[in-house]
Amino acid sequence: MNALANDLAAANVGSIFLYTHEAHPGENYPHLTSMVQKAAHGRALRDVLGVTRPIFLDALDGACHRAYGSMPNMTWIFNRAGIPVYKSDWTDHHSVANALTYFLDVNQRRRGRERLVPFRVERLDYRTSDTEAFYAGLARSGPKAVDEFKKAAL
Amino acid sequence: MTTPELLATYNYDSFTPEKVLRWLNFAASPPLGEPAPDFPLWDLDGRPTSLREIWSQHLLTVVEFGSFT
Repeated sequence: MNALANDLAAANVGSIFLYTHEAHPGENYPHLTSMVQKAAHGRALRDVLGVTRPIFLDALDGACHRAYGSMPNMTWIFNRAGIPVYKSDWTDHHSVANALTYFLDVNQRRRGRERLVPFRVERLDYRTSDTEAFYAGLARSGPKAVDEFKKAAL
Repeated sequence: MTTPELLATYNYDSFTPEKVLRWLNFAASPPLGEPAPDFPLWDLDGRPTSLREIWSQHLLTVVEFGSFT
């Protein structure tokens, strides 16, 4: 997602990471109890995991996250008027790139005076399932996060 | 739900189905094509902004939700 953000910045596409709550709290990154702690975890996201996009914090009660469906790693695309044009319950850079390519083409067609009206479409996209990387992420949070995920069997 | 209860349950302290699944509500999230709700946000230094302020700066804005864990 960082590379995609860099690639499309010149096309006037902005990209941010919105920090929510700890999906898998562990010994190293426990559940959040303050905005100071939330900012510290956000800096770890930047410094340890290498997120280069601007990181913004939701309120501690997750007001924004909850209003948008509370999925642990979802992605939304908004136009300049605040209209969501894409939402996915999981983040996959291929899916996001595909959508952005389409919407940038729509913008070009509008510039060419083509008359366009919106319609709704549903589509099932596919993401890579990397179990090893996922468990490595849990381990960064701590053994508690690994154990709880195994026990939850979700 | 009181504010302390909301803070504690949203920021759950352990990953169990009972604590996690109650929040997942993507089916009822804002619809595409209609104005989306705005919310206050803060940068890592505590400076306030808002989702509206962010999405108004570009032709399109990608917002990835998530956390370290």
